[in-house]
Amino acid sequence: MSLVEVMNVTKEYANGEESIRPLDGVSLTVEEGDFLSLMGASGSGKSTLLNLIAGIDLVTSGEIVVADTDITKLSRGKLADWRARHIGYIFQTHNLIPVLTAYENVELPLLLLPMSGAERRKRVEIAMEAVDLTSRASHYPRQMSGGQEQRVGIARAIVANPTLVVADEPTGSLDDETTEQILLLLERVNNELGMTLLMVTHDADAGQRAKRKIRLERGRLMENGQELQTAKLRTA
Amino acid sequence: MLKFVPYVLKSLWRHRARTLLTVSGTAVALLVFCFIGAVQQGLLALTSDEDSGRTLIVFQENRFCPQSSRMPQDYERTISKMPGVKDVIPIKVFTNNCRASLDAIVFQGMPAEKLKAWRDIDLQSGDMASFASQDDAALVGIDVATRRGLSVGDKFTIGDVSVVVRGVFQSATAAENNLIFTQLDFLQRARGANDVGTVTQLEVHLNETADPDALAKQIDDEFRTGPVGTTTRTKGMFQADTLADLAELIGFVHWLGYACVGLVLSLVATTTVMSVQDRIKEHAVLQTLGLRPLRVFNLVIIESFLLSTLGGILGVVGSSLLLSSTGMSIAAEGVTIAFEPSLALAVQGIVVAVVVGLLAGLAPGWHASQTEIVSALRHA
Ligand SMILES: Nc1ncnc2c1ncn2[C@@H]1O[C@H](COP(=O)(O)OP(=O)(O)O)[C@@H](O)[C@H]1O
Ligand SMILES: [Mg+2]
Repeated sequence: MSLVEVMNVTKEYANGEESIRPLDGVSLTVEEGDFLSLMGASGSGKSTLLNLIAGIDLVTSGEIVVADTDITKLSRGKLADWRARHIGYIFQTHNLIPVLTAYENVELPLLLLPMSGAERRKRVEIAMEAVDLTSRASHYPRQMSGGQEQRVGIARAIVANPTLVVADEPTGSLDDETTEQILLLLERVNNELGMTLLMVTHDADAGQRAKRKIRLERGRLMENGQELQTAKLRTA
Repeated sequence: MLKFVPYVLKSLWRHRARTLLTVSGTAVALLVFCFIGAVQQGLLALTSDEDSGRTLIVFQENRFCPQSSRMPQDYERTISKMPGVKDVIPIKVFTNNCRASLDAIVFQGMPAEKLKAWRDIDLQSGDMASFASQDDAALVGIDVATRRGLSVGDKFTIGDVSVVVRGVFQSATAAENNLIFTQLDFLQRARGANDVGTVTQLEVHLNETADPDALAKQIDDEFRTGPVGTTTRTKGMFQADTLADLAELIGFVHWLGYACVGLVLSLVATTTVMSVQDRIKEHAVLQTLGLRPLRVFNLVIIESFLLSTLGGILGVVGSSLLLSSTGMSIAAEGVTIAFEPSLALAVQGIVVAVVVGLLAGLAPGWHASQTEIVSALRHA
């Protein structure tokens, strides 16, 4: 049983008369501890696939099973609880809460889990340490550089020790030097913390840093020049 | 959910100008709301206390302003002999303004021993003995004293009437705090020889078994043939009749109280809608982290609740301070309505603020909780 099983997933957007179908029956499996990059042209549906796997968007058809849970069957409330426990999401533009300090931003996901104050403090400190921002704990987002903000974003994504960390163009709005820092950090998250990582990027160099490199072309998923095999639906 | 309160507070603090405006607007509206409530309560108190149903007021027939009611003082003796009557107090009333006024001065002259026997007053300063022994002495209600800055020893003149303050009192009946008590014969002589031997009204106290209505009829029948006809009513009825015009106005003003509630609702709702629109993306991020839609709803409700409740508390405290420090009242034809702060009113104000706060958050909270995460994240 793989950690993530995307089976025959289609996503369709109705646009008045027309409808677009960025994902047309795609399938993908991800093993625990893997580091995948998902590349493709702008508008090809990369974010759509990532959001479906992260449980913040709904499939038109197909199934997505993550850690033995078919998330396409969950209610909105249950799906939110599931995200709190299983998903760490790294945004392109960090999306930190501006009124909260770096520390409080990182602490946020833990407030949703049953946990003592002491345990929370310990976990936040470990995550802040991992992104090397202990000294900035009491800073507000506006007092930090773009790279630092993104590192806080990464700390927030890993602090709850999620099953899967997803990142949507995490280096998309950073300069080269900072991009390198962030990529190194993501590699460490994968290697040293052993977290499974799915990264969407349109930057070919960034994509090469992953262990598996997937491309999305015209609604289909390709790996090493071959289309990924359509899996049988579990329920079939 | 409590863990998120600091986040809500910080969000409110971030837009402190907006928060401050909303809170102060709410405070002003609640202040007016409580003020209107106090006026209504004052009116209600005049007609609802026990005394007002068991005490009769005899007034000259078809007369309204105290100056125009002039009955022979010896009516007192005739009424005293009627069965069921415990005591009769002859009272001379003088007011500087018979029309509705916020600063009317009302004098009641009555024999000192009857004042002691029938008025439940508590002297804050001065003493009863010097009041009883001095001809032009006056006992001043605390609200008049506050309003006019009077204290023991001061000379106080209104029109032809000049008195020396010999005491400042607090009465168990709020409306009496707006009265000035003098000796009966002093007030009878104060405005020329014409009034000597006449009284404005007679206050008839009944024993437990007497029927107020029957006795009122008996009194009016007795004096029908003159020399001066009378109209006798319970004290409550008398006050209600005297203040009928004002009561109608106050009844109308109470709609303004509802308008204040509506104002708070729209004010807090507007601010909350703005705050939700500002944070469409932020709420989507919170949902991505795993915040249930219901919790997003709760966050918004907590925010509107805090705004409204904080404003409500300020408004209620403000109105209590205002009402208790200024001793405001309204009087017409010698009868006064006191504006008194009360615990019941304060509680009512806070409850209104809390309920309105919760209501104001419903629609924006629902909207925030129903936002689609992905499209909200694309939001600039
Ligand atoms: N809510 C939506 N309504 C309609 N079309 C959408 C919506 N979201 C995405 N799309 C379309 O789906 C396609 C894939 O979008 P996206 O996954 O964001 O692409 P990528 O991340 O690869 O750039 C695009 O053509 C986009 O315009
Ligand atoms: Mg994208």
